Amino acid sequence: MRAVLGHDLTQTYGAGPVLGPLDLELEEGEHLALLGPNGSGKTTLLRILATLARPATGALQILGHDALAQRQLVRPRIGYLGHQSGVQPQLSALENLEFYAALYHLEPERARAALAEVGLEAVSGRRARELSRGMEQRLALARALLHDPELVFLDEPDASLDVTARELLGRLLAGRAAVIATHDRALAASLCGRELELGAGGATRPRLGTPG
Amino acid sequence: MNGWRAVRAVALRDLRAETRGGELIPAMTQFVVLALIIANFAFDLDRVSAPRISPGVLWMVIVFTALIAFGRAFAADRENGSLDAMLLSPAGAAAIFLGKALAAVVFMLVIEAFLLPGMAVFLGSPINLEVVAAVVLATLGMAALGSLFAALAARTRAREILLPVLVLPLWIPLIVVGSRAVEEAMGGGALQGQPLPLLLDFDILFVVVATLAARFVLDD
Repeated sequence: MRAVLGHDLTQTYGAGPVLGPLDLELEEGEHLALLGPNGSGKTTLLRILATLARPATGALQILGHDALAQRQLVRPRIGYLGHQSGVQPQLSALENLEFYAALYHLEPERARAALAEVGLEAVSGRRARELSRGMEQRLALARALLHDPELVFLDEPDASLDVTARELLGRLLAGRAAVIATHDRALAASLCGRELELGAGGATRPRLGTPG
Repeated sequence: MNGWRAVRAVALRDLRAETRGGELIPAMTQFVVLALIIANFAFDLDRVSAPRISPGVLWMVIVFTALIAFGRAFAADRENGSLDAMLLSPAGAAAIFLGKALAAVVFMLVIEAFLLPGMAVFLGSPINLEVVAAVVLATLGMAALGSLFAALAARTRAREILLPVLVLPLWIPLIVVGSRAVEEAMGGGALQGQPLPLLLDFDILFVVVATLAARFVLDD
């Protein structure tokens, strides 16, 4: 079973196309880097893959399910980290993860374990708004991986992360399929076996290749 | 059961965030105090005129306070990515919506707990159990519709303008029935035409419809 199988995916905003058409395949456990200039449709594609947006045309299978018709079956099995962290700034790091643990029907202890996995146990009681940008990004990663998803979609996860955290990112993604949008070709080469380069404006055919 | 756990989690999260230095309750309280002071100077109230004028002041304050409460209900979660993260969980859009609406109801009830005694003090309004019941019942329906349209408006850049335009016409039945109930209750007479059961009917209708519509409004 493929983790992702997309065919002829396009997206339009207003009159103009912003993405595709593109075909996409991702095997289980495989990591794919999404590269391209600003406005090339990386975030749009990630949101479509994460079932948060519907493509204008095309078919999409995620983890064996029709991702357009069976979103509720797909969603609990995927993780998504967008440009925003998805955490409540007034709540502590631990409280934020405990909240998502409740939504995923997980035990509260899982929240503490997830904080430890990203090296934030020392600041578990600190409010999210008081965390540094890099710490907040670690917390956002912990949030996205809290329920141990099989497939993750990460939009510039390396933003504000230091070298240690980038190594951590590699460890956290081991054993999962992942699509990672980034401008950092070195990170793409270190984490991903394949790359997909989108053209400016999303109108050109993407180039599939090997990072490096 | 899991759905209610999610409703509770979302509501508690919003309430906890607000008690940790949120901006909503202070802004609403400030508005209520200023509105009562202005009303106190603007109207020449006595024992005869207070029951006639107070309902109008009460509902004006409730409506505009509610717009403050619902205006930010979904906007912050959409801006910081929390809404996406919640939608990807198994909680479902209906549970997220109900949790947010429940928190908004609590915010409104807290403000009304200041507003009603404040009206008695500033305007000499006769507050009794029937007035409280009418206000609470109207608040439930307003919260259901207000949260739904706040979620819709949060998708746009002009949400501050869009929310009142969308929601005020739909609040009219609640305000008309609630005003009549409050006016009669403040006048000391028995309520005519059973406005409280009618408000309850509106609440049930609006909560059910808004919850069913939430999936289409919250999700793409």
